[in-house]
Amino acid sequence: MFLASLLVGAARADEAFIPNQSSDDLTIVDLGAMTPGAALPIGGKPAGIAVSRDGARAYVTSPEGHFVSVVDARARRVLKRIAFDGQPFGVAVSPDGRRLYVADMNGRELLEIDPDSEKTRRVEIGAMPSGVAATPDGRLVIAAARDDNALVVIDAENFARVATIAVGRHPYGVTIDASGRRAYTANVESDDVSVIDLAERKLIANARVGSHPYGVALAKGRAFVANQYAETVSVFDAATLAPLATIKVGEYPESVGVSRDGGTIYVTNWFSNDLWSIDAESYRITGKAATGDGPRAFGAFVRAVD
Amino acid sequence: MSPLAALRAIVIAVALSPLAALAHGATPQKVVETIEIAAPPAKVWAVVGDFQDMGWLPGVVKTEGQGGVTPEIAKRRLFLAGGGVIDERLVQYDDAAMSLRYIIEHVDFAVLPVGNLSATLKVSPAPSGGTVVEWKSRFYRAFPGGNPPEQYTDEVAIKAVSELFRSGLAALKARVERE
Repeated sequence: MFLASLLVGAARADEAFIPNQSSDDLTIVDLGAMTPGAALPIGGKPAGIAVSRDGARAYVTSPEGHFVSVVDARARRVLKRIAFDGQPFGVAVSPDGRRLYVADMNGRELLEIDPDSEKTRRVEIGAMPSGVAATPDGRLVIAAARDDNALVVIDAENFARVATIAVGRHPYGVTIDASGRRAYTANVESDDVSVIDLAERKLIANARVGSHPYGVALAKGRAFVANQYAETVSVFDAATLAPLATIKVGEYPESVGVSRDGGTIYVTNWFSNDLWSIDAESYRITGKAATGDGPRAFGAFVRAVD
Repeated sequence: MSPLAALRAIVIAVALSPLAALAHGATPQKVVETIEIAAPPAKVWAVVGDFQDMGWLPGVVKTEGQGGVTPEIAKRRLFLAGGGVIDERLVQYDDAAMSLRYIIEHVDFAVLPVGNLSATLKVSPAPSGGTVVEWKSRFYRAFPGGNPPEQYTDEVAIKAVSELFRSGLAALKARVERE
């Protein structure tokens, strides 16, 4: 029994897949030990990341290289590059792993890509498509139209726009809760997080955070928000939106992720080139791992390891 | 006009429009410059920490602003010897840590070919006595899309910011050590 639980514990150490935009590679961090492994060359100034739910694949966008890399997450190998006519940035993968959703940051569209056949469908999002997320049931895709100050709701089956919701100024990262009821977006210019009711397709409220928020993670009924200029992670109650804490982190934090058990928050610090782990209950810093130069990890970068 | 010349004119017009400066199409860049000054940190911070007077930066002939040192309220306009201006806003100010962060809200690319620049000035005690000043920045090249024209590349932007910071720190050192 004791041995079994030990083995289960060991098997559940997650990994972080961190694209480093300046050093043009991908750092894979063992989140149990907070140690980085060898860097995988990617090229094209990689920024966006999505890991499939089964942990088999990681998809990395390279805005300046105009391609999306398909990575075999277990073998640590780039299987292929999917050419992209535009600047691929925010990326999400459908829960069944069969579709990619990629924002064209200098265009106006979101692309659906079949990673095997590379067949695409397109939908207009608006100005400066940025963060993307899919609901856990796979029925909706949410994308931020940053310069339109809006979140756009897409029906995944026919890949058509079904709603546009006004949020704060310059929504960037998008996160959806485990139940698929709410979406959260960090508004870079208005220093708040917009909380969206996905069934009603309306804004519930804007929660005040720190200066220049980029990404949101959800754990223990709380939202953890990386504030790039304030160099903090803001914590607020996801139900009441009441502020709970402000945690000092590294330089220019951008992306935030959460461990599968919800116990640990991970934040990438773009300027100081590291990944920090934070206890989601005590808010203490529990570890730091070096990354390559300019970690962006824009998207869901935590990989479940079985 | 030849097609290439016409395309170039369009490219430059896009790059010069204020909207283009706000886009994030390119890769963010880092510049970090430091200098040691033979003076106590408090004396250096008295100069650096006055957000409403950027007179220590070579080329700035006048600073006009309001809001003192209150983050998100304090703004300043730098008038340059060449005739241009730079509009900046304070976003962080920590008097105890002797650190401030500001952003450029507007600058003509002819003056400084960068977009979305934020910068931090930090004054610290040097291990050997005296002071270390660090000036670090995150910014984008002026042209946000792919294949930037040669005057708006990453390299041009990095060079411009590095030279600005180096000249500023050298002038700061000379001024404080003279006083």
